[in-house]
Order: sequence, then C-alpha cells, then structure tokens
Amino acid sequence: MSDAFPLPALEPTRDARATLPDLIEVLLDKGIVLHLDLIIAVADIPLIGVNLKAAIAGIETMLEYGMMRQWDEQTRGWVQRSISRTVPFVEGEELVMRMTGGFRHTGLYTTWRPGTVYLTDRRLFVFRREPREMLWESALSDIRDISIEAEVTAGSERPRIRLQLNNGSEALLSAAEPNRLADLVRERTRLFRDAPRVADADSMGPPAIRQGHLWYHEPRAGSFVWRGGAARLTENGISWKSPVDARAALNVPYAEMLDTRLESGNSPKGSLILVIDTAGGSFRLAGDGIADWAGELTQARGRSLLPAGTRPDATAW
Amino acid sequence: MNRVDWGRIGIDGALVHAIARDGVAALVHDMPAVPYQGPDEHVKRWVLEHSDVVEEAWRSAGTILPVTFNVIVRGDSAVTAERRLRDWLAGNTAALASRLDALRDRVELRVEIDLQVETSAHEDPAVAALHLEMPGKPAGLRRLLEKKLEQSMRDAANRAADGLYRDSRRRLASVSEDIVEIKRHRPPVGHVPVLAASLLVSRGAVESVGAELAALKAQDPAVNVRFLGPWPPYSFANVAPGASQVPADSDRTGGANQPRDELRFPGGTAE
Repeated sequence: MSDAFPLPALEPTRDARATLPDLIEVLLDKGIVLHLDLIIAVADIPLIGVNLKAAIAGIETMLEYGMMRQWDEQTRGWVQRSISRTVPFVEGEELVMRMTGGFRHTGLYTTWRPGTVYLTDRRLFVFRREPREMLWESALSDIRDISIEAEVTAGSERPRIRLQLNNGSEALLSAAEPNRLADLVRERTRLFRDAPRVADADSMGPPAIRQGHLWYHEPRAGSFVWRGGAARLTENGISWKSPVDARAALNVPYAEMLDTRLESGNSPKGSLILVIDTAGGSFRLAGDGIADWAGELTQARGRSLLPAGTRPDATAW
Repeated sequence: MNRVDWGRIGIDGALVHAIARDGVAALVHDMPAVPYQGPDEHVKRWVLEHSDVVEEAWRSAGTILPVTFNVIVRGDSAVTAERRLRDWLAGNTAALASRLDALRDRVELRVEIDLQVETSAHEDPAVAALHLEMPGKPAGLRRLLEKKLEQSMRDAANRAADGLYRDSRRRLASVSEDIVEIKRHRPPVGHVPVLAASLLVSRGAVESVGAELAALKAQDPAVNVRFLGPWPPYSFANVAPGASQVPADSDRTGGANQPRDELRFPGGTAE
C-alpha cells in the first residue's frame, strides 16, 4: 500500500522553542558518567566529603539512628526545642530521626535538591534551612509503600528511597542511610496500614497458563538483540514485555497466528527458538523450557480454533 | 600532552580548553570545586551554555561522548584536578576510543507517539452504545454515564495503543542501532502514551525513521507524533564496560545509562 503512495517522511525538529525542556532534561539526566572518585557532583547532591560534616556531632548520629525515643524526656525536649527554632514542626509533632538527604525534583528539569530528611511521628519531609524551603513532605498515613532502588551515578550505584503515595504519585529521596530511614518509616507507617492493597495489573485479564522469563528477539538496523523480559501465555494468546518498556513488544492473539514452530538456532539460552508467524511478520522467543512453552501454545491455539460449544474447557450445562 | 584553547565559550563565558592524551581529548574549563546551584532560570542558561559547547565539539570532531551538566573533577593537596583528569584519560583511552568510534556519525533522535483518546475510541462499540444511551437522561444518571464513557474511551484507546506500540516499536527498532524508552514521558492532555523513546541511528537513517513515523501517522488519524533531533548521542554515551551487553537483574528498570537485560549481536541477522 505504502509502496504505491509513498508518504513524505516526517522531519525531526531542532527548534529550540519546541525542544528546550527535552534538551534540558537530557542534559541533566543523560550523558557519560565517569568512574572513580574524581567527581564531586553529577547534577546531584555533592557526593564527596559533604556528609562527613553532619556525622561529627554525636547528637546528629543519634538523630540519624532515630534513637531519640530512648532518651529521657528532658533531653528530648531540649533537642526538640532547638531544632524547632529552624524547622517548621506543627504543634505537638515529635522528631523521630533526621539525616542529610535530598529530594528528586521533577519539573522543568529533573535534579536532586539537597536538604535534610526528617521523620516525625506524623510526617516525612525534606527541608532546606538556607534558603529556607520545604522541598517535599508527606503525612505518614499517605505513604502506601517504600522501597530501596539503585541509581547509577558517578559510576557507582547509590541506593535511593522510592515512596508510593495513596494518591498514586511517587517520590524519590536520597538519604545518608537509606536503609535505616526506610526501616524506620516502615516501622512507623505500619501503625497506619489498614487500607487494602490495590490489586496489580498482573491479576487482571485471563489467568496465565504459563508465565516466566523468556528472551525476545528484536531486529535492529544491521543487527539484532535478544532482550530479557516476562512472557505470559493465556487462553487469548501470548505476550512478552520488558521491564524497561512501556507496553508489551509482543502481544499476539491466537487468531492472528498463521503458524507457530520451533526452529534451531543460537539464543542466549538453548538452541531452540519459538517462531510465531503473523501477517505483520515473525516473532521469536527463546529461553528455559521453550519446548514446553511451544507445546502449550500449540494446545491453547488448537482449543481457541474449535467452535465455542465444543471447547473442552467451555462451561457445559 | 597539549592544552588547546577553544575560546571563551563555556558556562558564564569560561575559557574552554582541551586536555588531550593519545588521540582522546576532554573539553573542560576551570572552576571552583562547587557544583552549579541556583534558581531554575540560571540552571536553564547554564545547561544551554553546556549544550552549545557539546554541539560545537560534535560539529567539529564528528564524534563525541557528551558529559552530563555539572560533572566536576576535584583536585586536592596531593594531585590537581587537571592531573587527575589526564590520568583518567590515560587509563581509559582504549574504552573511550572504541565508544567514540561506535558513535561516529550516529545521532540521537527522540520520538514520542501518543494516541488521542476521543478520536481513537470513536468507533468502539461500547463507547458508541454509551453515546446513544446518554440523551434525555436525568442529570445524576448522566454524570454516572459520563464517567463510564470516559473510562470506556480510555480502555478502547489503551487497547489501540497496545497494538500500535507493538508495530511502532518493531518498525523503529528495525531502523535503529539502539533504542531506549523514556520512562518519564507524559502524554498531552486527552492522550494515552504509545511509545516514547530515544533512538540511536546513523545520520543517513534519519529519513528512514521519518518515513516509518509518517506511515504510522497515516495509518491512524488519532496518532500524534513528536519527533526531535538530531542531537549528540547523549542517551548512548555510557562507557561502563558491557553496559548493554551483560544480562543484569531482570527487575532493574533504569535509564539508558544503566545496565539492561539485553544480549547484542552486532552484524548478525535474524535468519
């Protein structure tokens, strides 16, 4: 079709007015990240030598550990009062822990905003004293989940704290001791956890006949790539999705399959490749137990081709 | 070891110079060992000034490894910042040279494909039925139906986006040497996202990408395409050993410069 009426190709735009936010994001987020400890900053909190300052005073260390609970009332009161002079606590709010950290700001550009992370008996927030600004805050009761993830920066992995909030939004925090902070937040938020968990997307749709890790063959200009991801076989068809992709790169209902077969060839796992032919081209999968996948695929496809009333799995009455 | 001046083209007019070593050079300027920090307007200007130097180097050298804004090499009492950088260049010449070669005459393109919900869902049977049901209903019920309609339209558009994603990812990957999806992409209001990605393509293949996008657009009037570039290959500059060749933890979901669960076969073919 397109051969008969060739369409003019779209041309990319470099117009600064249209691309400025994108360019800024790319420049702050991408590009080469150097190794070794020769870097002091990568669009990030200054990395070397800064957190040491905070660790000097013993009281700061105690605060970092969230050990305030164990202090006597008088000491607690004194610390609370001295910190309250600079930090905007609400009436009656009690500090549990604080440590240096930051908040990943996303907006016109994405960057780490350094400050101090405070955990109180009712809030988690990131506050900057100079110039004074509340960088991020959430009520503990609004935190649905907290997890640690790795961010690669300055050539090494740094643990970050990902928070999922009840309103569906997310936040990324850094902290001098992310694991300790996450543990304390978990401990604190358990008090509020009574809402039922939202079902994840995997539990929707038809049940899986078979699911697991498979390699998907993606043709590229002059080469190809085997990509790892999650495959899922249901009574409707087969799908495969990489964790770094937005949607499933392979999603073929049985009705669209012209042929399915096993052929031999090189793959990251084993010498058998499952080929699925469709009108739009062939898809290839490989991995552990691929012959079993192929067998179940053939059976399920056979069932789907039978007239509805004669399907062995159809409800009979 | 030579130091070549590039002129006062750096951030805030700083004098940029090249530190060269065995055919590989780093473009730098001197500054205090403190990262750039300030209001959005300043950051924006600094980032653009950084970008201008990157572009200039890209034009004149034909291949570069763009460095992120705010990467600062630190010196101390034992070794100067420049010495440290020279040593680093010397120790990494081979890796840097091979990555530079791999990126020669390659450009980065950014593609954002979104689907306009209303146009896309127009012919969906469930949506059409709700449209018919609406007229003459009392206000309360109407509001309920409108909510239902909105959800049905989104569902229909998302189903269409699933199919379109499969096609567009495959078509764009087949004309690209590398492709990395953009996690943070937010579609315009009234749209569902289909595919947002950075593509690494040879200069000559920019038109092929444009042709694939034109074909996708022609296929469905609800398709909205944003096509940016060509840029220096920011998203593909990483020189971490085997960054995209060694299978990493499959639960890792990172940006372009993080290890991916991929095995690469350059020069191979599918058949």
